[in-house]
Amino acid sequence: MNCPRLKDWLEERYDLKGIKRLAKGKLIPEHRWDFWYYTGGITLFLFIIQFVTGMLLAMYYVPHIDFAHKSIIEIVTKLNMGWFFRSLHHWGSQLAIVFLFIHLFGTLLTKAYRKPRELVWVTGFILLGLSIFFGLSGYLLLWDERAFAAVRVATGGAGAFPFIGWFIKAFLRGSMDVTGDTLLRFYAFHVAILPLITLGLVGLHLVLVQVHGMSVPLALEKEKRREIPFFPNVFYKDLAVWLVVLGVLATLATFFPPEIGVKADPLAPPPEDVKPEWYFLFLLQTLKLFPGSIMGLNGETIAILLVSGGILFFFLIPFFDRKSSRGEKSPLFTWIGVIYLLYFLTMTAVGYLS
Amino acid sequence: MKLKYSLVTRRTFLNTLFGGWLAAFFSGTFYALMRFAFPTLGKEPDFVVLNKKDFMDLASNSIKRFPWGGTVGLYYTKADGSVLALKGVCSHMECNVDYKPAEKRFYCACHQGWFDENGTNIKGPPPKPLEIFVITEEDEKLIIAKKGVKVELPKA
Repeated sequence: MNCPRLKDWLEERYDLKGIKRLAKGKLIPEHRWDFWYYTGGITLFLFIIQFVTGMLLAMYYVPHIDFAHKSIIEIVTKLNMGWFFRSLHHWGSQLAIVFLFIHLFGTLLTKAYRKPRELVWVTGFILLGLSIFFGLSGYLLLWDERAFAAVRVATGGAGAFPFIGWFIKAFLRGSMDVTGDTLLRFYAFHVAILPLITLGLVGLHLVLVQVHGMSVPLALEKEKRREIPFFPNVFYKDLAVWLVVLGVLATLATFFPPEIGVKADPLAPPPEDVKPEWYFLFLLQTLKLFPGSIMGLNGETIAILLVSGGILFFFLIPFFDRKSSRGEKSPLFTWIGVIYLLYFLTMTAVGYLS
Repeated sequence: MKLKYSLVTRRTFLNTLFGGWLAAFFSGTFYALMRFAFPTLGKEPDFVVLNKKDFMDLASNSIKRFPWGGTVGLYYTKADGSVLALKGVCSHMECNVDYKPAEKRFYCACHQGWFDENGTNIKGPPPKPLEIFVITEEDEKLIIAKKGVKVELPKA
């Protein structure tokens, strides 16, 4: 593809050479931890897949309490390739959350959040929160028994927050209980509100990464290291990794299509062994540790407050870790990171196996 | 006394004016958005009216569900034949509870909470008993009401 006249036409109007120079100037450090750099790109790729498959599914999904469940069954059974795109959307969301967590803990343990990249961490962390909300809201759209119970517990849990709990709960549910209003509201979140916010934040996150350049782990900062150009070296590597991820995704989607449960019935009890999505299991296990009441106080409220405190601390780590922001080694925060990681992994495993 | 200079410069005056205008505009917008996003919330019902004959021949040691607002109520005939009406929603995280006739207990599958046949929480995370309703019979009607609520049926 070589269109000299088109090139000239554009060159006369825009500074193409300048853009080229800028792209050529982007360098990526090469060292033994540089595989962490790919986790962000993979997440971006999975987000793109989610956007595309989501747009396709939105053409056929009916967000109404009476038709939602049936419309998904029709997408899967009657539409050409419907099963494939629903399956891709499901597995894409699972992998996206997996890679978000990998990316998060990689950033945490290599201390890539340290000055001057605090805002990269902040935008990334908010994106993780949005993605989990994406997962929860998307899951309710199935309107099956499990989704119904999960959303009741999740929104009810938000209601245990002191003072503002009822406010959050009513806002999320759009009603006193989980009803057709909640379904519509979650649909609006899932297809309109969250995608727009996510798009903006992803853009900001990427711009900030370009502004700061790639972070190098503290221990390697002093060493002499090679830098390789992003175009084409790292770009091709990125594409190669994305291709592998796409392969894994398509394989999972084809061989393990997600199930859909029995249509939700507000009068029926949830099925035995009802479990939320795996990324909520660590929360659920934590809640189970607390008795119903602690010294006359509501145990649920205390649990929710402690969990929120833990998450808030995690979110603010770049601002607490003064040592690494001065460029010194900061083993305390390495340990805190390891403890968070181990807690997350064990609680998820316990929740999964119990 | 006449000041030689103005205490408020033209710039400060205009900034305050525009700033105030913007603040008023955005707070108004925010208020309207919030009002729209929050629906007029329905209240949990004080009582529901059921058909007596649907519930009269319920076998002992079993339950029958009825809609209670957006959630569920349970009409329960104990093993000894006495009846009880309770809210079928777990006091922990609002999942619907199920009745286990073999154990004569109520069970919540979400977090493994157990309640005995009087709705008292006995095992697992639930912090409170299940809510017990008051049952009154009136002709062909069965009125299930919250405790302490005065039932006023609309005149037919």
